[in-house]
Amino acid sequence: MPIAAFTWTEFAQQLAAGIREGAIYAGLALAIVIIYRSTRVINFAQGEMATFTTFIAWSLMNQGLTFWEAFPIVLAIAFTGGVVIERTLIRPVENAPVLTIVIITVGLALLLNGLMSLIWGGANQQFHGPFSTRTIDVGGVPISVQDIGIVAVSVLLVALLALFFRFTKLGLGMRAAAVNRDSSRLVGVRVSWMFALGWGIATVLGAVAGMMIAPVVFLDPNMMQTILLYAFAAAVLGGLDSPVGAVVGGILLGVTITLLGRYVGFIGSTLKLPAALLLILVLLLVRPGGLFGKVAVRRV
Amino acid sequence: MRTRLWLELSAFVVLAAVVVLLPRFVSDFRARELAIVGMYFIALLGLSVLTGFSGQISLGNGAFMAIGGYTTAILSVDGFYGHQVRDLWTIPIAGFVAGIAGLVVGLPALRLSGLYLALITFGIAVSFPQLPKEFDHFFGGTTGKILNLAKPPFGLSTTANNWIYYLTWGIALVLLVAAWLLVRGKTGRAFKAIRDSEVAAVSSGISLGRYKTLAFGISAFYAGVAGSLYAIANAYVNPDVFPIILSVYLVVGLAVGGLDSLFGMIAGAALIYFLQNHADTVARWLNHLPALSLDPQKPGIPSVVFGIVLIAVMVLLPTGVGGLVRRLFGPLTTRLYTRS
Amino acid sequence: MRVFVVCAAVAVMAVASAGARPVATPGVSSDEIHIGSSVPLSGEAAIAGNVARGIDAYFKYVNDKGGVLGRKLTYTYLDDGYDPGRAVNNTIRLIQQEQVFAVFSSLGTNNNLAVRKLLNDAKVPQLYVSSGATTFGRDYKKYPWTIGYIPPYSEEGEIYGRYVVKNIKKAKIAVLYQNDDYGRDLLAGMKRGLGKKAKSIVASVGYDPTSSDVQPQVTQLKASKANVLMVFAFGKFSLQAFNAVSRLGWKPQIFVNDVSSAASLMAIVPQKAANGSISIVFGKDPASPQWANDKGVKLFQSILRKYGNGASSRDLKDGYFTAGMATAYTLVNTLKKAGKNLTRQSLMNAATHLTERGNPFVLPGIVIHTTPTSRFPITQVRLQRWSKGAWRTFGPLVSAKPG
Repeated sequence: MPIAAFTWTEFAQQLAAGIREGAIYAGLALAIVIIYRSTRVINFAQGEMATFTTFIAWSLMNQGLTFWEAFPIVLAIAFTGGVVIERTLIRPVENAPVLTIVIITVGLALLLNGLMSLIWGGANQQFHGPFSTRTIDVGGVPISVQDIGIVAVSVLLVALLALFFRFTKLGLGMRAAAVNRDSSRLVGVRVSWMFALGWGIATVLGAVAGMMIAPVVFLDPNMMQTILLYAFAAAVLGGLDSPVGAVVGGILLGVTITLLGRYVGFIGSTLKLPAALLLILVLLLVRPGGLFGKVAVRRV
Repeated sequence: MRTRLWLELSAFVVLAAVVVLLPRFVSDFRARELAIVGMYFIALLGLSVLTGFSGQISLGNGAFMAIGGYTTAILSVDGFYGHQVRDLWTIPIAGFVAGIAGLVVGLPALRLSGLYLALITFGIAVSFPQLPKEFDHFFGGTTGKILNLAKPPFGLSTTANNWIYYLTWGIALVLLVAAWLLVRGKTGRAFKAIRDSEVAAVSSGISLGRYKTLAFGISAFYAGVAGSLYAIANAYVNPDVFPIILSVYLVVGLAVGGLDSLFGMIAGAALIYFLQNHADTVARWLNHLPALSLDPQKPGIPSVVFGIVLIAVMVLLPTGVGGLVRRLFGPLTTRLYTRS
Repeated sequence: MRVFVVCAAVAVMAVASAGARPVATPGVSSDEIHIGSSVPLSGEAAIAGNVARGIDAYFKYVNDKGGVLGRKLTYTYLDDGYDPGRAVNNTIRLIQQEQVFAVFSSLGTNNNLAVRKLLNDAKVPQLYVSSGATTFGRDYKKYPWTIGYIPPYSEEGEIYGRYVVKNIKKAKIAVLYQNDDYGRDLLAGMKRGLGKKAKSIVASVGYDPTSSDVQPQVTQLKASKANVLMVFAFGKFSLQAFNAVSRLGWKPQIFVNDVSSAASLMAIVPQKAANGSISIVFGKDPASPQWANDKGVKLFQSILRKYGNGASSRDLKDGYFTAGMATAYTLVNTLKKAGKNLTRQSLMNAATHLTERGNPFVLPGIVIHTTPTSRFPITQVRLQRWSKGAWRTFGPLVSAKPG
């Protein structure tokens, strides 16, 4: 089967697409990492929560609001929703085995997926994003404004979060609670509310990722399922307890998968993800904590 | 301790009796359904050994089931150097092929722990379905492989479904006994030691590498047998027969069963089978509750029901059915459930 | 030890005595005919499941008018989520637990391939399969209980190829195809239709359904500087392809395969890219102004309103429902032809000796025709073009018959 020859223009476009994909993975991966750091749980419902909030945005826009009018409302709903879920589903089983809590998130994912089909139907829907679908010329290469916008929003969000964690008292409290609960309690940090806050922030991140990607891939209840898998891979790559790692891992994964799939013939579309996972596995053998993570070393 | 032994033995006898007699009281099709529950049970036994007893989380056992299923399919359809292999003989072969794959996976798993291991095994579950699509000449691609329908051998006059039922549960009971003996013996003690504290285990002279890898191999063997039986029962395999979500459902069944309770795995197997296939029935039961009106035909209802039931079961029984049984029957367990 | 022996003895007795009781002709009684399907009602292909809802409504309509030769139609359709493994389970449940007379219009190429052997071994008719894979009509010697319905994908591709040769000078063709039998059938057919001009294909890229987005593939195709794009993609991937074409500022002549050409899908992609797209069709599209006053479409809508179990106004314009009714119409005809003495064999005889004119839900002039050696009921289609938000057919009826 004839594959088009290499051109720099196309390479630039593939790179741009890869970075855009990676930005979405980074957003979800960051959400996963934030929840993991605080509650030590892998949230399997992260993708469905993102899609659910995107559907809410879609409904609001159908009622006549513009994207930017609906945006803050959806973020507020997402934040509240995340906090509520943590309080009602996760907190009561805090002392159960980790696996039990993970299974609860699986149940939550199924529940949300079914609810979405029930409320909004299973068909693909068009989602009007905030960015136009024009292309602009970047150094001779046509790049889509939408792709640039998605990356810009993601970068902005990550920057805001970084500032939050670094410079605010609340952010410091969250970081402390994640590292050492008991010591944090001793200094007055309300640990369990820090966890709730973590879930709230994670849900907001998911909502933004969902609203960014929906205009591109079309909105339907299963929109985030494949993307969630990539996000898990990105989180592992970067190190499960490193937010920086999640972002770097996401972008790296997005670019690698896109370029591997395009330029390495035998990998193609089918083996993109397995190839990427294999590379991550090899990396983990060398650095068991991922790129930026830390793993306690036990010398035996 | 003796009381516990007697309790477990009598539980086994009761189980065996139920297994033998049940098909006389249920329809032919139901026997087939119970057989599939049995296949999940076999896979969960293996997962219990790996996760419940040796503490290694695997979200990839669906891939081992797929290896078993595809081994059976390829041997039955394409044959071995031209000779089609009788479906019965492929079962142990499928188990061993999967078991070897498990040993191979167990090796890199030595370097990883906790949720990193879980996610890498999840990566295996995600990647495996792609292989049959890529190497489609050998594996049949998305079209898959179509087997001959299962038929009772040696001219036994019984229906195909009853044959599948007895075959599956016969193997399940044997494998249950094997697992039970394993966990009560030296290997089982080594597993539990590793699960509870790797440092302490190594200090007592237990070889981490050997036992951790062995656990993976055993659990993969069980999963392979289960997958093989599933291929025989369905007379069909393709990548979607063992999808990614299967590995997740296995862990769901494991948690519902109670991690290291072998008998509890029956409950786990039953739950994952019936919630996937009879969510509409459950929806109809739930309709009897006041203020609930769930139309089973509407899209999404089966998922909603599955999700709600799952959450409810886990919130009410955080240590699974096995944990409940232990609290009710056995002496107080001294295991501490720690969060890692 | 004794316990074991007793248990073993009981086991052997139990195995030997358990057996099923065969029924005369399952699924047929003096006043009822029970038909079953396995279709996607959830998951990626859920909109295609509307075919079953269309069938259901039509059967209820027929029942109200007295049924078929005095027997009422009972229709059981189960959800398989487009998963062949579940389709196998559903089909076994349909024949063993529900005891249906025939399995009808199950959807999906792989789904139907998965159950074909078991249905043929059990001698249960696998009627009017909702898939365009050529094998369902061609391999009747091995699978005599199976028959297809919709025009084969391979021939559809060939029609596009022939159109390009005839109407587009200096064509340079790029192809986006789903990397399974469905996409590859279309591609192979198109190459056949190009004949000597097969070199016009300058790029073809397959994608795996586990991809999250096909923009990289479309980017690669655009780089080949093609001026024709064949979209042999399913559902949301077809949508994403149009999206990508629009975002990359590319303006090729687009051909989109029939299965993904539903008006509800075409309406939500960027219209700049969609306008001018060409596809084929065999049924009347209720969303097109072309058939706004057509008696067949009006009948379709009145049936759906009355028997559609809460059909929305969107459903009244959904071509999948119409396709379902067209298939149901053919089945009812076939049942009538099979006569009062209804057996599975008489049903297959009727299905392989069919000449049906005037199906109100397919294009005028289409004759649905089968013989025992030519099992492709619908082999005539028309080309259609998308413009200003609707499909309009153009040109004469074209043959899609496998040569």
